[in-house]
Amino acid sequence: MSGLRRRLRPLAIPILAVISAFIVGSLFLIFTDIPALQVLPTQPLDFLGTAVGNVIKAYAALLTGSLGDPTRFADAFRTPTPENWATAIRPISETLVAATPLIFTGLAIAVSFRSGVFNIGGDGQFVLGALGATATVLLLRDLPAPVTLVAGLLAGIVFGMAWGFIPGFLKARMGAHEVITTIMLNYVALQIVQLALRTPFMRPATGSEPISKVIDFVRVPALIPLPGLRLHWGFIVALIAAALVSYFLFRTTKGFELRAAGLNLTAARYAGMSAGGSIILAMVVSGALAGLGGAFQVLGTVTQMSNDVNSGYGWTAIALALLGGTRPGGVVAAAILFGALNNGGHEMQIETSIPLDLLVFIQALVIMFVAAPDLVRQIYRLRRRGPEGGAPVEEGAAA
Amino acid sequence: MRLELRDITKQFPGVLANDRISISADRGKVLGLLGENGAGKTTLMNILSGLYRPDSGEILIDGETQVFRDPAEAISAGIGMVHQHFMLVPVFDVVESVALGSEPVSGLAATFDRATARARVVELSNQYGLHVDPDSKIEDLPVGVRQRVEILKALYRRSDILVLDEPSAVLTPGETEELFGIIRGLAAGGTTVIFITHKLNEVLEVADTITVLRRGRVAGTVLPHETSREELANLMVGREVELTVTRGPANPGETVLELKDVFVRNDRDEMAVRGASLEVRAGEIVAVAGVQGNGQTELVEAITGLRHIDSGHIKVGDTLLDEAKPRKVADLGVAHIPEDRMRDGLIKGMTVAENYILDSYHREPYSSTGRFDRVAIAREAAKGVKEFDIRTPSIETTVGSLSGGNQQKVIVAREFSRPVKLVVASQPTRGLDVGSIEYIHRRIIEQRDAGAAILIVSTELDEVLALGDRVAVMFSGRIVGVLPSEQATKEAVGMLMGGVH
Amino acid sequence: MTAAAAPANAVVPAASEAERRALQRARIRGIVISALGLIAFALASNTMNSEVTFKFWVVTQGKDFVQIQTTAGMFWILTGIATGGTGIWQLWRGSSTRWRRWLILWLPLWVAAVVSTLLTGKTAVLTNAFAGTFEYAFPISMGAFAALICERSGMFDIAVEGKLLVGACVGAITASMAIQWLGPDTGMIVGPIVGPLFAALAGVGIGVLMAWLAIRYKVDQIITGTVVNFGALGLTNFVYLRVLQTYTDYNTPPTIEKVDVPLLSGIPVLGPILFQGTPYMYIGWVVMLVLTYFLFRTRWGLRLRASGEYPQAAGTVGINVIRIRYRAMILAGAIAGFAGSYLSLHSAGSFQMNMSAGKGFIGIAAMIFGAWNPIGAFGAALVFGFADSTQQLLSQLGVDVPPQFLASVPYILTVVVVAGLVGRVRGPAMAGQPYEQG
Repeated sequence: MSGLRRRLRPLAIPILAVISAFIVGSLFLIFTDIPALQVLPTQPLDFLGTAVGNVIKAYAALLTGSLGDPTRFADAFRTPTPENWATAIRPISETLVAATPLIFTGLAIAVSFRSGVFNIGGDGQFVLGALGATATVLLLRDLPAPVTLVAGLLAGIVFGMAWGFIPGFLKARMGAHEVITTIMLNYVALQIVQLALRTPFMRPATGSEPISKVIDFVRVPALIPLPGLRLHWGFIVALIAAALVSYFLFRTTKGFELRAAGLNLTAARYAGMSAGGSIILAMVVSGALAGLGGAFQVLGTVTQMSNDVNSGYGWTAIALALLGGTRPGGVVAAAILFGALNNGGHEMQIETSIPLDLLVFIQALVIMFVAAPDLVRQIYRLRRRGPEGGAPVEEGAAA
Repeated sequence: MRLELRDITKQFPGVLANDRISISADRGKVLGLLGENGAGKTTLMNILSGLYRPDSGEILIDGETQVFRDPAEAISAGIGMVHQHFMLVPVFDVVESVALGSEPVSGLAATFDRATARARVVELSNQYGLHVDPDSKIEDLPVGVRQRVEILKALYRRSDILVLDEPSAVLTPGETEELFGIIRGLAAGGTTVIFITHKLNEVLEVADTITVLRRGRVAGTVLPHETSREELANLMVGREVELTVTRGPANPGETVLELKDVFVRNDRDEMAVRGASLEVRAGEIVAVAGVQGNGQTELVEAITGLRHIDSGHIKVGDTLLDEAKPRKVADLGVAHIPEDRMRDGLIKGMTVAENYILDSYHREPYSSTGRFDRVAIAREAAKGVKEFDIRTPSIETTVGSLSGGNQQKVIVAREFSRPVKLVVASQPTRGLDVGSIEYIHRRIIEQRDAGAAILIVSTELDEVLALGDRVAVMFSGRIVGVLPSEQATKEAVGMLMGGVH
Repeated sequence: MTAAAAPANAVVPAASEAERRALQRARIRGIVISALGLIAFALASNTMNSEVTFKFWVVTQGKDFVQIQTTAGMFWILTGIATGGTGIWQLWRGSSTRWRRWLILWLPLWVAAVVSTLLTGKTAVLTNAFAGTFEYAFPISMGAFAALICERSGMFDIAVEGKLLVGACVGAITASMAIQWLGPDTGMIVGPIVGPLFAALAGVGIGVLMAWLAIRYKVDQIITGTVVNFGALGLTNFVYLRVLQTYTDYNTPPTIEKVDVPLLSGIPVLGPILFQGTPYMYIGWVVMLVLTYFLFRTRWGLRLRASGEYPQAAGTVGINVIRIRYRAMILAGAIAGFAGSYLSLHSAGSFQMNMSAGKGFIGIAAMIFGAWNPIGAFGAALVFGFADSTQQLLSQLGVDVPPQFLASVPYILTVVVVAGLVGRVRGPAMAGQPYEQG
């Protein structure tokens, strides 16, 4: 029993942080509920009933949207047609589809945090990865599909790597603060994408929207052979990537160097490690992961490059890295949770017309609560535990 | 003013830093507060300056009880503090630094009245013979002058009680003498001075009364003319100081480390080492003495491959060190015990095992082709823990939670786990308890007897004299003298340290 | 005794080595700069006939004007002389020239030459372009001031963007509410005051939250900034979609109109550029001057800078560093929030999603460019504002340059400066480091 409790203890803060974020989020839901607010001066109880009822409705829609509707599962069991099964499973499939880019970017940020680099450039690395993949696939469209696909994914990795290398190099060799450089490079990346989307090479024959030609002639194969399910092999690759990152960080000498640099740069140098090399390596790995995430997004999920291929993944990734304690397993769990939220959010938006952006706000709150464990402890009257409890990024990322 | 502290007690988690400490100092007198590292001097000073509040006990000035809730209240009660690490903003000039916190202002916007402040700084500087240029930037001033700026800060606030924390730690003997002159002048003018140090000679020279602290308690209060160095040392450490470590005679062999006209720059691009030459042979300990900041740090970093050599050469065995590559140097059989344990030597967020392999993780048996062998690491780390008597709950404990002595043992265990030809140890026992100091000295001597060449750099004269088969003295970036141990008396070495040769 | 023979102050061989290297670097730099000058002359020979006309309004828009007719080649010649001269001077004087100062002279010339080449055969009204520069620079410079105050006090502030956005949203809503509640007549007067005021208050709220998290709970200041930026985007989008889109009355604020400064607006040519703007613009000037004075001449500034450079030094002389940092965050929040209201109350006339569009981050860039100095930051903001303004000028005149090139200039320049490729700048030593009081 005590063993189990000890194992569960590190989860207390993240779980309470998520719960707290939702409670604060619901307050904002209540106080932006204009129809309900209009009855507040005359019938305060009615207001409370309606507003709280709406919150419950919204969160319930979030839940069914992310995990599925039990009645659909019942239908599927009664008449097990592929269509029925697809309908029942679709919410879960969509949750994992939404989680896939988050796993990649979350891992990317976790790796950089471990090395003491505060990579805020996940966005830029992700979109350039997506752009690289799109351009490569368009360029090689006449080759056999599998070759084109692999080339596209590799291009995503290379582009992301390059965009991660720049701030890594500038920090390691010139001492440039990575927070500033990565933020600026995010904007440059966005401009590059817009520029590229203006070229005839990328643009579809008609229309003036900043989107590329549809590239569905190569597509990452679907994972579940049921109609209309978008879950593709990118998810499995993401899980493999998490396992590889974990192996890299904790079982290899390069990973050891990287973590040492993150925890104490001087001591790493004294121990004969090339601290600058570790920083660059971390940023390159980080960029490669984010870039691959972008490649899978265009080649597996959306089949089209556009300005908004990235919906703040780089920022969400910071929440994921913190929530997962910069451990790959934790990041995967956090990414699936956030994937569920984002996906359920769509359902919520459709059913209750509450904007999806509420979840962006809630994610920001999650970062806040996870980063301030003492605040959470204070709210829930938890006792402080030994030094092992905190996320390692507390020391690492400050550098 | 008369200052009295009664039964001051301060408890930190796990440490009773001050245990019913009572001291007193009369107007115009100098109280020497003597104690080892960790005796509770700094805590007591922080209580006096309003940074900490005591758990119990009281502070009295001229018989009236004082309660300091923050430094501002201590300052307005007349207490002036000169911290060991100077509290001066590097980019400010002297006037700004001195006036900060008590600025004369004018107008609605509280405009800083620089002219008034400057006039007062000049006046005080002249009155006490401090010779400080009011318009220099702090970062351009030498250490001795910065300390005088600190004293100016206290005078500017009309402090009647001046507390100096280890003021001579960064000064040359000449500058120290000058400081003593200033202190005597201040006392003659009616200022009460509290002089905190761990140096016996200094309290004997300058103090009117001496209170000795040991492990958070008052070990005794004596008058300088009624006591002796031996008695003070006794009070300070609680038993006869063992000034010599038991070691056999050296048996020097061939030269292992050779420095010839070495020039090295510091972080600010100034030439910190200017033509240092020295040889260390197998089977002997060469101890380098010197006041902190005379280029020792840079020299050690050059030898261990952490810093580029500007000119001259360093040879380890037959290999010329031509580029800064710490790993290449380590591979030559050089063990390095760095100056600042927590900053340079250990990663406190990592485990004992991880720190144990910190500089040989890339080698067999710990890893091959870039992958770790966790079984071998655990086995070797457990062996190191046992052999070096490191008190830790397990090898998976984070190093940050160990005591200072055990942390240093982790470093020593790690460095001596490789085949060693040359040991470079910088301040190897700084801040450690007596037991750990003895243990580490013994280990170093074992290495010497096993045939390694040892270079020890220490600012603790006692350590240098106790360990060195030959004692070298570094001053102003050069080795100004090398004495065999029988000629290395405190006086002889002390003169060299102060640049007298 | 083996005392070394050389006296302590003797000429050290290695020092001259370093000098030699510096000289070598200076030579290379001189050659590069001279080559740039030659390129400018080469371009001049091709553009001697590229006519371009610049037009300035004398006092009133659309009435009397003065115009300058010239060729792009003239600009290239000037550029060539300035650049080449700097290069030759550098070669001649070696490492002792202050070439970075000269850069300030010839960089604008290059910009002018490039722009005039692009404008070949057209007539450009520069009054509007220059006035636009000041308008565009306003939110950027205010963002820079906010970040500057924080960093000078020892706090990182990467949340300017979020504060601008929240300020824009709150400003639009409160100013609209003034009209809703007080009627259009009173509302048109009260709204433009209430909007910016509440926007500033919202900024203050964010500043307090950030300071509280960073100081009380030791949350990394980059994380608190991330929380604010990300949370502000989510929250304002949410409010826009859930409330403002449906209840458009709450997003129809009175716009803040341009106001002529008496007398000064009548100065020929300069008047229409500098003194016929929105009140925001004038407030920006005032904030710059007041902030400069306060930062470098008052007790407040001295203590603020001490807190950022060496908080322990301030703490030991009885200065309450924590309070200074809280106040700095509050002031910075007020400035950034106020600047945010400009976005929704000035040109757009309503709040739109993500309407700050990176201006807060460009503000941080301007702060770094301006070396943490209000006047410098303002100058940098003008450069970035000019990039925006030029972009608009070019597109109005139908010059087909992808806007992305100019839009990325501030970001790329910032990376270059932060990397120390052109002149390293030094910020407050302890920015971002938590301070423990007793």
